[in-house]
Amino acid sequence: MTAERPQSEIAFEVNGEARTVYAYPMARLLDVLRHELGLTGPKEGCGEGECGSCSVLLDGVLVNSCLVPVLQAEGTKVVTIEGLTQNDGFKKQEGVNPELSMTALQQALVECGGAQCGICTPGIIMAATHLLRKNPTPNAGEIREALAGNLCRCTGYAQICEAVAKAAVPERTR
Amino acid sequence: MKANPADYELVAPRNLSEVVALLAKQPGMWLPIAGGTDLMVQYSAGKLAARRLVSLWNLPELRRIDVADSEVSIGSGCTYADLREHGVIEREFPLLARAARWTGSVANQNRGTLGGNIVNASPAADSLPALLVYDAELVLISMRGERRVLYGDFHLGYKKTLLAPDELILAICLPRRFSRYLQYSRKVGARNAQAISKVCVAALGHSADGSVQDVRIAAGSVAPVPLRLPKTEDAIREKPLDAALLRMARQVAASEVHPIDDIRSTAAYRSAVVGNLIVEFLQLLKSEARRLNALQRWNRLSLESAVQEALPCCGSQAWARKLAERRPYTDFASLIAASDEIWNRLDELDWLEAFSKHPRIGDREAPTSASSQSASWSRQEQGAVADTAEQLRSALVEANSEYERRFGRIFIVCATGKSATEMLDILRGRLQNDEATELRAAAEEQRKITNLRLEKWLSQ
Repeated sequence: MTAERPQSEIAFEVNGEARTVYAYPMARLLDVLRHELGLTGPKEGCGEGECGSCSVLLDGVLVNSCLVPVLQAEGTKVVTIEGLTQNDGFKKQEGVNPELSMTALQQALVECGGAQCGICTPGIIMAATHLLRKNPTPNAGEIREALAGNLCRCTGYAQICEAVAKAAVPERTR
Repeated sequence: MKANPADYELVAPRNLSEVVALLAKQPGMWLPIAGGTDLMVQYSAGKLAARRLVSLWNLPELRRIDVADSEVSIGSGCTYADLREHGVIEREFPLLARAARWTGSVANQNRGTLGGNIVNASPAADSLPALLVYDAELVLISMRGERRVLYGDFHLGYKKTLLAPDELILAICLPRRFSRYLQYSRKVGARNAQAISKVCVAALGHSADGSVQDVRIAAGSVAPVPLRLPKTEDAIREKPLDAALLRMARQVAASEVHPIDDIRSTAAYRSAVVGNLIVEFLQLLKSEARRLNALQRWNRLSLESAVQEALPCCGSQAWARKLAERRPYTDFASLIAASDEIWNRLDELDWLEAFSKHPRIGDREAPTSASSQSASWSRQEQGAVADTAEQLRSALVEANSEYERRFGRIFIVCATGKSATEMLDILRGRLQNDEATELRAAAEEQRKITNLRLEKWLSQ
């Protein structure tokens, strides 16, 4: 029987809050987020870094959390889909409870029919958010490249790309 | 997820010397893991034999790029994203920057490292053929010191390298000798992203007087290791760039590689496609040679003739004159660099003169002041609009009028490759600009148009 390894204390910031978890250093960040922290937005679609359903931002950078050993996330700032807020330059919805408000991107996905079963959606939004933060006016090719790591089995992608393009247009010209 | 995290140990020393000390103390006991984009896949599948890992992620000694006069030293911990974003790599080692863009997806590029790609030693790895043609050298480090090896010697067999059990790759060094070569690479795979290659080829070439002066070719997924193709190179070097050479090169290349059948492709397909890619490379070298000839011919013309010939590329007299005055140019790249510099320094009147030679997007005819060559090019560039539905066309006409009312001149955009809808979106966006911003935006578009036309002109 192999000796039981000890768990490590991992301190990091998740969605703006300081958190500490006890986990094996080789536990996957995805599993720690879902099982220890109850953040089920990031999902396991493949466990191989191919589908993008598990995407999160790690120190502002898009990564597949199924491929990150949690020890490597120590001391970092992790943002999951649950952590995208209205204050990130996105449009507030007038007269609507802020907790029910959607970011411009989320709203565009609804309007364009870019979400069906919703499994890929959190990953898509993370990837698109990462894109729009770096490149607020992407062209069609840049949108497709940014989302190339996100697989969707329902929509056929066209409505998703449309939604990202729509969310990218400056508010004044909508 | 088929592995039990409780069975694994992962340590993350905070600096490189602690890692090196650990590997010296217990060589072969600790498996280095950087971004984990390969090892974590094996781990999740329950196929990672190692139980103890040492993290190299984000060690500052490994994640840096140093640019010296004669070489660029890339730390082995640099991610593909780091490579993509680095100006010198983009400009002087575009095949490496391109491979970085082709690997996986954005999320994987943010974690996968060049060192990891090399040590993982898959013959299908995207960056390795580029490293071979660039004559990369590796700096290896252990407690015993540093040593430098030719990357071409690094792979001994399938997934077997000359790295010692206590050693790490510290850096990958690229000599800055190849920026004047034609740079070619192509990856053939099932998709544009997240695809392991069926075949990939990287090649550098340099020709003069219609024959090949130097050539370097490497291929991936066609052998147990990434493969340089010296037989093919020798067969091509110093031969005239004609149809017979292309036929012969294809044959030699197909015989030099030894691909297998596997889940992604077959040996026959791979051999055939390697031949196709090398022919494509040679054809590009040939058209580059033709461009060079055309450039050399233009270099020798009188000043006035040179100005007249260049003018359709950019309707500004001042631009054409200054460009012609700076002759001779040794290659196309320096022509473009000069053109950009001259254009960016012209004053507003010269810019406006160039703008005035373009037809409105959506107009069927160029203004009469444009030369017939310029008008012909405009028709090609705006091709997407010619086929467009009436409704979209009238939206464009209306938006154009609005633009003209606001800014007092026609809307300029580099139309090549853009659909009518895209141009309308861009137009609407730019209507929001203030005068100064919009003038600069239009000038930038003209610069792009000029560059495309310079290329077409010399390739005729």
